[in-house]
Amino acid sequence: MFQVTCGRSVQAARLLSPRCAVLVEAVRGRKSRTDPVAKSKVGRIKVPPPVDPEEMVALNERYSEYQLIMRALRLEFKEEVLRRKYEEEIGSLAAEKAVQEEEEHRILMAWNNQENQRLLQIRVLRIQKEQEEAERKQLEAAVQREQEQQEHIKEKEREILQLQEDAKNFITLENLDQRIEEALDNPKNYNFAIDKQGRVVKQTVQQ
Amino acid sequence: MPRYELALILKTMQRPETAAALRRTVETLMERGAVVRNLENLGEKLLPYKISKHNQKHVTGAYFLLDFYSPPNIIIGLLDHLHRDVDVVRPTVLKKDEPGSAVGGSCCGP
Repeated sequence: MFQVTCGRSVQAARLLSPRCAVLVEAVRGRKSRTDPVAKSKVGRIKVPPPVDPEEMVALNERYSEYQLIMRALRLEFKEEVLRRKYEEEIGSLAAEKAVQEEEEHRILMAWNNQENQRLLQIRVLRIQKEQEEAERKQLEAAVQREQEQQEHIKEKEREILQLQEDAKNFITLENLDQRIEEALDNPKNYNFAIDKQGRVVKQTVQQ
Repeated sequence: MPRYELALILKTMQRPETAAALRRTVETLMERGAVVRNLENLGEKLLPYKISKHNQKHVTGAYFLLDFYSPPNIIIGLLDHLHRDVDVVRPTVLKKDEPGSAVGGSCCGP
């Protein structure tokens, strides 16, 4: 409810040199702004701790000296940091560094170019090989296709000849009667018997 | 042209009538543009079951096998015609496989 102000908050400065004697400060805890003050706290006046003047004087002197020294140190350090930064960027070190960097860059670029050349050679060789390979394959494929075509043609020719041979035995209007008579005279039997040993018997009784 | 096989079951008749029926069938085929290759007789056999066709009951039938080459579009018409023929008990048109593999061919019959 009433918060004790520690050194970090704004109110700390007021405590060290209070303008008015009392400081009433409320910090919202459990109660909201519309709640009335508790009965035990009605009329409470906050009184800061009493100050000893001699002690205060001594403390102030010492504090001022201490703060002076600390501020000086801090500023010294800051200055050193800034100087180093300055040196690094614009001072004597910078030129040397630039030269070194230049040198390094040159070396690296040279190395890179060499690498590129080497890889180029390798790549050229590889591509050449691949091209040759591809050409060879193409030729082979072409030859293969030719061969297959020839085979195909021969196959078809054979089939045609076969069919021409068979055509001599086909039924036409002239030999129709003859073929019918032939067929009726020779009944054909496709039935056959087979046993587990694989012996085939083609002659069966026709019913 | 694809190759078909007509498994024809004719009514049991006297020889001249059977010959006439066969002649009629082959002529029908040739009219429709088929090329008849061979005609085989499988004999007159007992049918596996009694077949009624054209208001007649048949117990025996004469089996004939007719292979021919024809365009596929005439087959339906042909079957229609054969169903209407009084002497025909059952016509069946089957496709003939092209003889390809020797392995498949040697394990079957003749």
